[in-house]
Amino acid sequence: MSSKNIETDASLDYQVPLIRGNPTFASITESVSKVTEAKTTKEWFVLFGFFSSLTMIMIGSIGYLIWEGTGIWGLNNPVGWGWAIVNFVFWVGIGHAGTLISAVLFLFHQKWRTSINRFAEAMTIFAVICALVFPGIHVGRIWAVYYFFPIPNQMDMWPNFRSPLLWDFFAVGTYFTVSFMFWYTGLIPDLATLRDRATNKIRKLILGVAALGWRGGNKQWKHYELAYLLLAGLSTPLVLSVHSVVSTDFATSVIPGWHTTIFPPYFVAGAIFSGFAMVMTLAIIARKIYNLEHIITITHLENMNKVILLTGMMVGYSYSMEFFIAWYSGNPYESFAFVNRAFGQYAWAYWIMVSCNVIVPQIFWFRKLRRSIPVMFVASIFVNIGMWFERFVIIVTTLAKDFLPSAWDYFSPTIWDVSLMIGVFGLFFTLFLLFIKHLPMVAMAELKGVLPQADPHFGHDGHEGESK
Amino acid sequence: MMDNKNVLAVLAEFKTPADLIHAAEKVNKEGYKKYDCHSPFPIHGMDDAMGEKRSPLGYMVGIVAFLSAAGMWFFQYWTSAVDYPLVLSGKPLFSYQAFGVAAWAIMVLSSAATALIGMLVLNGLPRFHHPLFYSDNFTKKVNDDGFFVSIEAHDPKFNPDETKSFLESIGGTNVELVVPDDEG
Amino acid sequence: MSIDKTTYMISDKGSLGRNAMIVGALFLVISAAGWFMDSPQFFSSYLVAYIFWLTFALGGLFFTLVNHLFGSQWNIVMRRFTEATMYSFPLLAVLFIPILFGMHDLYHWTHEDVVANDAILTAKAGYLNVTFFTIRAAVYFTIWFFISRTLYNLSLKQDKNPDDKIILRMKQISAPGMILYALTSTFAAFDWLMSLEPHWFSTIYGLYVFAGSFLAVLCFVILFGLNLRKKGYLTDIFTVEHYHDLAKLVFSFIVFWGYMSFSQYFLIWYANIPEETIWYLVRWENGWYVISLIIIFGHFVFPFLGLLLRAAKRSFAWLKFLAIWILVMHYIDMFWLIKPALSHGNGPHFNWMDFTTLIGIGGLFIWNFWNNFTSNPILPIGERRLEASSKFKV
Repeated sequence: MSSKNIETDASLDYQVPLIRGNPTFASITESVSKVTEAKTTKEWFVLFGFFSSLTMIMIGSIGYLIWEGTGIWGLNNPVGWGWAIVNFVFWVGIGHAGTLISAVLFLFHQKWRTSINRFAEAMTIFAVICALVFPGIHVGRIWAVYYFFPIPNQMDMWPNFRSPLLWDFFAVGTYFTVSFMFWYTGLIPDLATLRDRATNKIRKLILGVAALGWRGGNKQWKHYELAYLLLAGLSTPLVLSVHSVVSTDFATSVIPGWHTTIFPPYFVAGAIFSGFAMVMTLAIIARKIYNLEHIITITHLENMNKVILLTGMMVGYSYSMEFFIAWYSGNPYESFAFVNRAFGQYAWAYWIMVSCNVIVPQIFWFRKLRRSIPVMFVASIFVNIGMWFERFVIIVTTLAKDFLPSAWDYFSPTIWDVSLMIGVFGLFFTLFLLFIKHLPMVAMAELKGVLPQADPHFGHDGHEGESK
Repeated sequence: MMDNKNVLAVLAEFKTPADLIHAAEKVNKEGYKKYDCHSPFPIHGMDDAMGEKRSPLGYMVGIVAFLSAAGMWFFQYWTSAVDYPLVLSGKPLFSYQAFGVAAWAIMVLSSAATALIGMLVLNGLPRFHHPLFYSDNFTKKVNDDGFFVSIEAHDPKFNPDETKSFLESIGGTNVELVVPDDEG
Repeated sequence: MSIDKTTYMISDKGSLGRNAMIVGALFLVISAAGWFMDSPQFFSSYLVAYIFWLTFALGGLFFTLVNHLFGSQWNIVMRRFTEATMYSFPLLAVLFIPILFGMHDLYHWTHEDVVANDAILTAKAGYLNVTFFTIRAAVYFTIWFFISRTLYNLSLKQDKNPDDKIILRMKQISAPGMILYALTSTFAAFDWLMSLEPHWFSTIYGLYVFAGSFLAVLCFVILFGLNLRKKGYLTDIFTVEHYHDLAKLVFSFIVFWGYMSFSQYFLIWYANIPEETIWYLVRWENGWYVISLIIIFGHFVFPFLGLLLRAAKRSFAWLKFLAIWILVMHYIDMFWLIKPALSHGNGPHFNWMDFTTLIGIGGLFIWNFWNNFTSNPILPIGERRLEASSKFKV
């Protein structure tokens, strides 16, 4: 019967519980906190050792880069922007899902977000840290990076506020700081929970300082809730603006393939798309390892798959608009840029991008596949690959064949491009492992707040929610 | 028992969010001012029950947002068109469209900082030491699954015994007088 | 007028529908006189008015589709409003016919001698030609009509037969419906508006027009709902909470609209390529800057500030004023999109035909809407989530 189908579909039925297994307030505290309190497992150390070694590769690659200069990368004459920018845009994009989940879904009262928001916010912060590695080093003369800051210097010059690259600095810097503040605000009550549970002195001291003396009084919650709402309200337009600003790095130019007016919303949609895929990849692993399947349920994952499908369609819409308008413009340079993308020397990259970003998400039309863990895991990885290639296609194919055929060249990465990219992935996962080990990966206070027994009108017929 | 002069506050525990709200209404009606209702998560409707005013944080953030955006815009004008005028990429010296981006970023940054710092200041945080932390029952449960009403000793209506019996009369359990630990 | 409490039908339709039709027909006849007096003026006025009213139907279609797709509940109490709005494509298809007659006056690319001497227009002739344009228009109307009719019929079927299968079916139709909607509304905007200046192009244009059309239907729902409320209908069902949420949507789409228009303007301003900047130049010179500034402040800044506070989103009087304000701005926005392309260096002026066509098409649109609305229960009474929807809290 189809009514049975409907019953389990959260978007159709408002009575489906957000969390399974009738948890109590205490059981949420217990199952989330114990991950940070239990003895570190051997698997964690193995993973940590592996990823921190990759981080060492990153540090080595950066060191060599500073010593030798950007010549060690595969950059050549027309292709002056290579993997460093590709990776920068990729990582900034990944970060967007976290803010979207924590801020936008909060504003839209999507209560299912509470199971995954902490997790996604942490991912945002680490992704933006990874992104910030690249503009820090790709300038070549890293000791002159302070030119970005509008501070009086020996040349009496100010930064060029009309440059998109400077906007990037302001936008991404703000994004990192605001995401961090938002994340920390959410953490305060949970840190207090951990503080109160702490048994040894050092742990008590560190958590005590971090929790700032939180007492959970309503006179505190009052300001706290408004602060959280304000931060969500500020983060929402911020997250849209950040990737829009990143898109202006390309779209304010006069280069066919870069200069097109749909770039800002197109970049934002792509960022959300890739970010959700990354959250998916990480959440599937973490919920399995730490037995959080009753908190991050299959319904949460299904909802995320719907977002992936939706944003994948938006990205597909942008691809088709670009293509159509390139032809419609009647401008041979415009048309060439796109024909070259699809059928030129980088056609392989273009079709990887289209298959991963437009075709793969189509499987999520089917409810069965939306709720199949192996399927979504593989799909999420495909989406991440596709979105990396999207940036590669935009940046490299466009530059490799610019206006002057005599200057055309083919970009191939060197070992240093590859090592830096792998190393930054190592940094990302290292930070993530540290987070999972030491901080509550589910927002306990928020999650308790959406339980049915948290509603003051709940249960005049008994207190099954209460444990003691 | 102990000397009543040392009492810093009275604590009472309640079972559910609904009980806490009812208790808050009664404490408020009784005329106490320096009291608070503690819960592991914010409870919908508690502000009304306690007769709390809305937080002024929104206005603080609004003012900072306006000032920082205007300030950053003006700063860009001053650096680009007054202090060191330089024509770049054929753009006007005062490219107000382009200056919007950094002004926007700075506005969001300073507003968010105001929201967080303002929240902490209004809450009197960080404050690592508070009388309520003397109670083991409180620290054990308040951030886990306990619901408490606390009435502090500097409330004008405060009287250890009366307040204690009042809290018992409205249904509080584990009512205790909070006194400093021996070591503290 | 009165309402039957069990069927939720408006039993006495009153004179609104008839009056709207009479006024509409009368003004269209007057406008038709303008056709013979000054056909370029008539067609430019007619196109502005037509697009203005078309955006209500397109916005209504989107509103219905998106809520089926996400299974939202809060909007169920106003579902019949948007359904009655979107079910106007047959009428709009008929009203499109004069535009086909006016193509020579409106669309530069229909002049064969011009196209032959213009390399860029020749390159586009495969897309921009009268036959294909007409076929495309027919395709758009067919698609819009079929999606809206299917959804409307399913919703009416639900009144008699409250079955969850219908909810699922509406969702299943909305998913591909949304894709078709995105493509057709974009290409319709390209065909009917962007091709007025056939050398110019912008990939974001479809989204810009979409943002305006969604705003239009939101304001329409607010206005019509408040009107019913004043007469005492649905007062405890379509509550202040729903208006608050509508106002939030208006606010976010004001921002969305601003984001779209700023993205387009900013990228074109920055790159400074003459073939693109010309579009903004004609909308600035010869006095058009006044209209441009009115749009910036009236379509974005003022409604943005006006909806910032929570109290503003919950005040009926203020919402009513703002909804009217935004609709006026939406008209000016459409005027600004279309007229400079056809004014050949003249400044903005408001012709009597702008007024008569606006009222003429609007009268018929309202008549059609009122007919749809009153022929059926004004609430989807078979919807099992209706009760929850009416209790919605922001």
